[in-house]
Amino acid sequence: METTTAPTETVGESKTLVRGNALEKTYGSRLPLGRSTPVLTGADIEVRAGEIVGIVGENGSGKSTLMKILVGVLDHDVGTVERTGTIGWCPQEPLLYDRLTVSETFRLFGAGYGMSREEIDAAKRRLADELDFERYLDYRVDQLSGGNRQKVNLSIALMHDPDVLMLDEPYTGFDWETYLRFWDMAQDLADDGTAVVMISHLIEERSRLDRVFEVRDGLVHDVTDEETVSELRSDREGDDE
Amino acid sequence: MNRFAVGVRSNVRTFLRTPLNVVLALVLPLVVIEGWGQAMAGLPSMPTVEAIPLDLGRVLGAIFGVAIIAGLMGLVQMISAREADRRLVQTGYSPRTLLATRLATLAGVTIVVAGVNFGVLWLTVEPEAPLLVFAFLALAGVVYAFLGALVGAVLPRLFEGSLVVVFLAMMDAFLSGDSPLAADVPDFVQYFPLYHPKELLQSAVFDGTFAAGDLAFVGGYVLVLLVLVTAVFGATMRTSGGWSA
Repeated sequence: METTTAPTETVGESKTLVRGNALEKTYGSRLPLGRSTPVLTGADIEVRAGEIVGIVGENGSGKSTLMKILVGVLDHDVGTVERTGTIGWCPQEPLLYDRLTVSETFRLFGAGYGMSREEIDAAKRRLADELDFERYLDYRVDQLSGGNRQKVNLSIALMHDPDVLMLDEPYTGFDWETYLRFWDMAQDLADDGTAVVMISHLIEERSRLDRVFEVRDGLVHDVTDEETVSELRSDREGDDE
Repeated sequence: MNRFAVGVRSNVRTFLRTPLNVVLALVLPLVVIEGWGQAMAGLPSMPTVEAIPLDLGRVLGAIFGVAIIAGLMGLVQMISAREADRRLVQTGYSPRTLLATRLATLAGVTIVVAGVNFGVLWLTVEPEAPLLVFAFLALAGVVYAFLGALVGAVLPRLFEGSLVVVFLAMMDAFLSGDSPLAADVPDFVQYFPLYHPKELLQSAVFDGTFAAGDLAFVGGYVLVLLVLVTAVFGATMRTSGGWSA
């Protein structure tokens, strides 16, 4: 297993910010007769600045495993991961502290990111306004609805303006308005040079993605140019015209 | 912002916002001290121990009460938000800083719990050296708080971990105590976590003195536990890349 934080090369106009090479991961059992489950068997992926990348695949195909390895919260068995810049990670299940209020949650994670009090307050105000949860800032996390908890979960990933944003189905529980606002935010971030990587199950979203990778049989396949994506793209472009 | 200070404040808030913690810390001492005292009151006095069984029982109850609460707090601190902890480490907290916030919170809570136990003991037994009694109760609590934290780091499951801590504390307090029911205990009992704290406490309560050797042993015990919990926690939180600015 190897991980580096050295900058990687530029491809065309875009700089590669995260790259995984020949990644292998098997979930083993600690019991002598337990079953081990290979999930990734040589996955390659790279993510460039300013693009929105989708990771798709069947349930259990290894999408979340791949993302956790790229983020650095899960060790891989074989292969290399190279990262440059800061990363924001929004896990599928909100990983927050239930007894803290939303404001306290921002302070705790903001301190982790190395932000000043003023920067934390500014990020909190901005994100609470954009995702519409200002009135819940003094609520404890365990008193929030699922959708609002997910907004906080996403905000924690965004609050330090990361260079790479890794999102594992970040809109679970969002209402339609918030869902649309989320996509506006994602597009704005990409326009500003942030790489956005997103695990998605919704075919409709493919039209919003610059590239699509499918995790299948332990490998990562670039399916950006497959028919469904092209058709959806042309549909959307047609609508825009 | 200072990560350590923010972390400790968050831990304290989390503790205080868990009502069961507060109730246990305040109510359990009275129940355990008086319950243990009354349980031993009917036992015959031992030739080698001058203290009457009722008072001896209360002293053992006090040290058990501190130990079990501190141990369970240590356990819960380590396992209640393990995945969130991993995310926090990835934001930039080092596992050592995060652990330090947890242990500092534990030490603070333990001192409060020791204070409550000391108050009950003072009212019922009238110790010879009150300050020493408070200090040794707190020390016994710190030993078990760190032990609970170690159990939580090794065995991150609330039910199984609680069983280990409760069973260990009960056996420890029973075998380490000068109870006629636990006479002729084997030599290895002197390596139990509460054996030397109990010796210190008993001397402070009944004689107003203590043995430096016991104190040194307990200090070493705390140090070893600190090293072990740091190593285990660091291993469980090890990840391949942080992303702080």
